[in-house]
Amino acid sequence: MIEITDLLFKYSGSDFALQVKRLVIDSAEAVAVVGPSGSGKTTLLNLLAGVLLPDEGQVRVGTQQVSTLHDAARRDFRIKQLGMVFQNFELLEYLSVLDNILLPLRIGAGLKVNKAARVRARDLAGHVGIADKLQRYPGQLSQGERQRVAVSRALLLQPSLILADEPTGNLDPSNKTLVLDLLLDYARTHAATLVTVTHDRELLQRFDRVVDFSELNQWQGVT
Amino acid sequence: MSGVLYLAWRYLLWHRFKTAILVLAVTLVIYLPVGLQLVVQRTAADMTARADSSPLLLGSRGSPLELVLNSLYFSAGSPPSLDYGQLQELRDSGLVEPIPLYVRFHSAGHPIVGTNLDYFDFRGLELSRGRQMVGLGEAVVGSRVAQQLDVGAGDAVVSSPESVFDLAGVYPLKMWVVGVLAPAFSEDDNAIFVDIKTAWIIQGLGHGHQDLARPEAAAAVLKKDGERIVANAALVQYNEITPDNSDTFHFHGDNDSNPLTAILPVPHNDKAQVLILGRYQSHPELQIVQPRLVMDELLATVFAVQRYVLVAMVLVGIATGAVVLLVFLLSLRARRAEMDTMSRLGGSAIAIGSLMLAEVALVLLASALLAATLTGATLILGGPLLQAVVTQ
Repeated sequence: MIEITDLLFKYSGSDFALQVKRLVIDSAEAVAVVGPSGSGKTTLLNLLAGVLLPDEGQVRVGTQQVSTLHDAARRDFRIKQLGMVFQNFELLEYLSVLDNILLPLRIGAGLKVNKAARVRARDLAGHVGIADKLQRYPGQLSQGERQRVAVSRALLLQPSLILADEPTGNLDPSNKTLVLDLLLDYARTHAATLVTVTHDRELLQRFDRVVDFSELNQWQGVT
Repeated sequence: MSGVLYLAWRYLLWHRFKTAILVLAVTLVIYLPVGLQLVVQRTAADMTARADSSPLLLGSRGSPLELVLNSLYFSAGSPPSLDYGQLQELRDSGLVEPIPLYVRFHSAGHPIVGTNLDYFDFRGLELSRGRQMVGLGEAVVGSRVAQQLDVGAGDAVVSSPESVFDLAGVYPLKMWVVGVLAPAFSEDDNAIFVDIKTAWIIQGLGHGHQDLARPEAAAAVLKKDGERIVANAALVQYNEITPDNSDTFHFHGDNDSNPLTAILPVPHNDKAQVLILGRYQSHPELQIVQPRLVMDELLATVFAVQRYVLVAMVLVGIATGAVVLLVFLLSLRARRAEMDTMSRLGGSAIAIGSLMLAEVALVLLASALLAATLTGATLILGGPLLQAVVTQ
């Protein structure tokens, strides 16, 4: 379960702030977050992931008080319990598809690539339909294929929470459906929580709940 | 850490052109000063070792450096000659065992060293094949000569004429190789050794020709005056010494006045060395030198030049290092998004922070290996090259 309580976050040097009185997302719930650009949706995901720390209030994910963990523990939490998917895929151009999927194991503290990890990476690639492209590089793939690599990377360590920041924003309709199917399918089969930021109204009906950010953020400006 | 090393390796491979330039630049920064230093030190050690093993050299007055370079390293021009008679004078002193040297002629680029068998004992030279030279026209070759000219016992080498257009000059003499020396890793490997008299024959001081008293040489007789026979231009002069014609070779005049380029006086003891030094110190026509002192003077000049070159290289190295650092800093800036992605995925701060350090370490390691290889190659090839430059 995710629980946000009395959260206040401000960017230094900016008038923008995020103020959330309370937000609760249940375990295994698939939630879509919608709202106008610049309303703070990505900021919310970064607060949930522990990339950003709130100025006030608490962020709890499962049993972890993310907002009170020190840096190394937050990184450990992210790599072991979170799967992150970005709008621009954020793959490393110099790594093959297989190496991009295995990336978390190479940069995570105490993790390493072993035979089982390779087998899982190949299985994931097979599941998302890129098994024949494991030795290719991101520059040789289509947009849809790149996002499928990013999804495989996010799911490698079987996270209990997936944070997806406009994962279908750069995809054509068929790939949009495919990528969303992959994320929802994983969430359901692994009882994982899925929080997806999206602008795509057509996809909203696929989620258990839709959170409208213009209602969620209670920041009224400088008082 | 192995994961970070792998990522660093993949990054460098992906940017292989940039990596190659970086490795090359760092390699040169490491190699040039280190390689130069090692080569100069090694060359100096080799050269002084040979000078150390030759305590004294006697020659005609002139350049001491030319005398040492010609007699020890068989390079540079021929110094002014001294008479062979000086050899007997030295021997008569009872202080030294003199070894004659006549280093003037060449064969296919290799120096022909006229000397006697004492030279081989003095230098500790041993035969690997064949036998020692015992007669006129026989030669013993150094190991490198045998390898480069592909000659062995039973083959021949021919002395090179000093000038093609000088009809009165030195004519080529065909000499038979009777032995090959074992490698000594010194200038002796590159030399062709002949008896001192053979060297004089090359110069034309001795010669062999048809016996004019024999009937078959009648066509070569210009006139007979009792016992005295004068030959005409049809007289056949031999340009090789064989068992059949060796008896006909002879020298006109007194051997004591024949030339040497130097004498290696080997003192019987320290006292003898001091005495012989004193005896020739103020000789009006001859000079006696201690090769080590002469080489120290020469090498001091080389080291002075080397110091300036090293300072220049260090400055270039600093500039190159600054450029390489700039490349990494710019790369760090350009890769901020990549680092940010790793951080958001949960990569450890140590792993992300050490990624570029691993790349620097790999570049430095590759450069160090390449520099070590180049230095090794330079020590093998550059040492003799520098020695040749110094002694020419």
